[in-house]
Amino acid sequence: MDSTKKISAGKFIVNWAAVAVLILSIIFFAVMKGAAFFSWTNAINILRSMSTVTIFALAATVSMAPDGFDMAAGTLGTFCAYVFASFFLWFAMPLWLCIVLTVVFAMVMYLITMFLILVCKVPDMLATCALQFVHQGLGLAYTGGSAISAGMTPASWAVGLNGGVTSPARSGWIYENGSGGTVDARDIGKSPWIIIIMIICVVICYLLLERTKYGRYLYAMGGNKTAAKLSGINVKKMRFMAGMFAALFIAVGGIVVCSRNSAAQINGSDSYLMSSLAAVFIGRSIGGREKYNAIGTTIGALLITVLENGMTMCGVVYYILPAVKGAVLCLALVAAYATSKED
Amino acid sequence: MEKITLGTRNVSIEFPGVKALTDVNFEVSTGVIHALMGANGAGKSTLMKVLAGSNPGYTGEVLYNGQKVELRHPMDAKKLGIQIVYQEVDMALVPNLTVAENVMFNDTVMNMKGKLFMNYAKLRKSAREVLKQLNVNIDVRQICGKLSLAQKQMVLIARAIQNECNFLILDEPTAPLSDTETEELFRVVNHLRETKNMAIIFITHRIHEVIRICDSYTVMRNGMIVDTTPITASTTSKEIVDKMLGRSIEENFPKEICEIGEKAFEVIDLTEKEGKVKNINMHVRKGEIVGLAGLVGGGKTELCKTLFGAFRKSSGRIIMNGKELKIKNPSDAVKNRMALVPEERRKEGVLVAETVTFNMAAASLDKYCHLTFVNGVLTAKNAKKYVDELQIKTPSIRQKVAFLSGGNQQKVAVGKWLAADSDIYIFDEPTKGVDVGAKQEIFRLINQIAKEGNCVIYATCENSELLSITDRMYVMFDGRITAELVTKDTNETEIMRYSTGEVQAAFQ
Repeated sequence: MDSTKKISAGKFIVNWAAVAVLILSIIFFAVMKGAAFFSWTNAINILRSMSTVTIFALAATVSMAPDGFDMAAGTLGTFCAYVFASFFLWFAMPLWLCIVLTVVFAMVMYLITMFLILVCKVPDMLATCALQFVHQGLGLAYTGGSAISAGMTPASWAVGLNGGVTSPARSGWIYENGSGGTVDARDIGKSPWIIIIMIICVVICYLLLERTKYGRYLYAMGGNKTAAKLSGINVKKMRFMAGMFAALFIAVGGIVVCSRNSAAQINGSDSYLMSSLAAVFIGRSIGGREKYNAIGTTIGALLITVLENGMTMCGVVYYILPAVKGAVLCLALVAAYATSKED
Repeated sequence: MEKITLGTRNVSIEFPGVKALTDVNFEVSTGVIHALMGANGAGKSTLMKVLAGSNPGYTGEVLYNGQKVELRHPMDAKKLGIQIVYQEVDMALVPNLTVAENVMFNDTVMNMKGKLFMNYAKLRKSAREVLKQLNVNIDVRQICGKLSLAQKQMVLIARAIQNECNFLILDEPTAPLSDTETEELFRVVNHLRETKNMAIIFITHRIHEVIRICDSYTVMRNGMIVDTTPITASTTSKEIVDKMLGRSIEENFPKEICEIGEKAFEVIDLTEKEGKVKNINMHVRKGEIVGLAGLVGGGKTELCKTLFGAFRKSSGRIIMNGKELKIKNPSDAVKNRMALVPEERRKEGVLVAETVTFNMAAASLDKYCHLTFVNGVLTAKNAKKYVDELQIKTPSIRQKVAFLSGGNQQKVAVGKWLAADSDIYIFDEPTKGVDVGAKQEIFRLINQIAKEGNCVIYATCENSELLSITDRMYVMFDGRITAELVTKDTNETEIMRYSTGEVQAAFQ
């Protein structure tokens, strides 16, 4: 029994390395910058800026739990932002309807992904790589080749649809609702809403993966697809379901990015893909779970954001930050794989 | 032509807990096709691995032309011209390279020191020459992954003889081949013996093949050599079967008599899509344990998986309690209350990275859910119940299954289905790799399942197990059922005769 204890001591350090780095960096930045870093305002700041990464990372988490993958989450998120902004600005739909329709749109688009993976049996990585281009191209075709922001002329097809009126149906992100108040779509991208949305997404993902039977099925598939199949799990159905949840998170991510920027920018969410994957990988081994899980992913996203925030405060130039992010990811991966036994 | 001999003197091998070979004295000489026969686990492959240098832990001596040689590494054997083609051809081939590259693989790896660029024209030319020696016609530019199994085997044989080769060992080469493909292989083997004066050692289960093409044979049993004799016109398959079996070692498991009810499960004319099993007709009554006998490669596992929907069927019907079942995938099978304990426990039966609790609930999660939310208390209760009932040795129900012993893992795989409360239990080699004590417990368990009025299908190549636990059995050979035997009226010899295809009973 002695030897197993020794192994667990070493394992313990590896398992909690990411959390240790997180705590140490918080202490470090608190000492360096004092109240400027270690304050309620800055905590809100950090939570706000981690939200988008977290939401996209949750999409990656549900895809990866059953041993899937999605390289096209960022581009689909961008496309979702176009759709959301166009519904809101060009067609003046109420905010709730814009959100619902965007989620539906993401799921419909995800049917293509699922068709390639489940029906045509293309490996996830390759199928979603190809779809990146499809999303980018179709997205720009949809907007008429430009970003969508307040006051801009809609794409020609939308002008045609609006009966030739070239000005957008809504000139800005605020509109009056029926009962006298105003609705500002940009609120979604500000605290507290952005943080609340992130927390809701984390809770949904956590419940799905940890508490429901579907989560068990997904993890069983991730562990051993053959065994899962022979246990009677309908693996295709489960992969499809995971895809739909990923689509939900991607749509929400796209909307949040759009309202944070007050515009659906070209390639607006594309860059979140790699950050989100980094968060997922960092979170995988936290606590020795060795599984892609919601809480780990959130901690991973938090770690990345704290480092960015603290370093920016310490005057580190912004263009070096990706290198730091990459180094943290490398460390997390080394912790996860260097200790694994070779067989 | 001069004769070279290769032999062993008092070679023994011990694996933890098992004596795989005991004082084996074996000899072959060039210019001979020699068959090595024996039941599963007799030590044939182990012995051949010694000769191929991949079992370095042997004691005793290997003699090459009477001289003692050390074969502690595959390279040692290759230097002496001993080449082996393993049964799993896909392990040795690189599927995304061309035939030429695969044939010349050793050459590329070993003789490229100091060279940088490949000379493909030369490579293809050499490969073509080697294939010509075999007298087979395969395009050397083709990608290996696209070849048929028989062609892949030829590529491997070509690779073997491309190097110096006096002794060619073929480990169960004909098991996956069709009749015409087998003929082709025999032609190549004969051709090699005649033109190159090689010794070819065949490991095989198929007795009639041995009598047709081999010059002599050796029978092994329980890690020992029973007999080595030349094959003459008077050699009969019956005498070979008798030697393979020897006296049967009784398992001494008392068969409990269960009450056998009406016919509950019936299979009519079932054929798998790729022809892995053909024209299967069988039935199981309530409370009956029905065996599936046959050697490795006979189609037992394939039949189990086809019944369970893991392999697609192309025709045939599966009927349970008078109702035809639509089973397209394992998920449908489970919905129809079927259970499969698969052969490859760690790969297919349990989720090794998950806890005992998780595994025990894997096939019946609905029972422990409120509105799809898993109730941890209920799953833990379930796990505890079956850990106690099956006497699974585990420090806790939260232990990962990877850390349990083989027998206990198997019990988890069985417990999972007990929790699912199925009507039909299919066991595929459930005692593989478990010790005697655990074996007895698994038997007890299976008896218990039958006693409760369930149907049990029990597939194994251990005939003694079938004799001790089943009520009735179907013997399979080449993906077909060759005989239906009532356990109390049969014996190992009869089972063996049907499972080697020696007797092709007109069974429909």
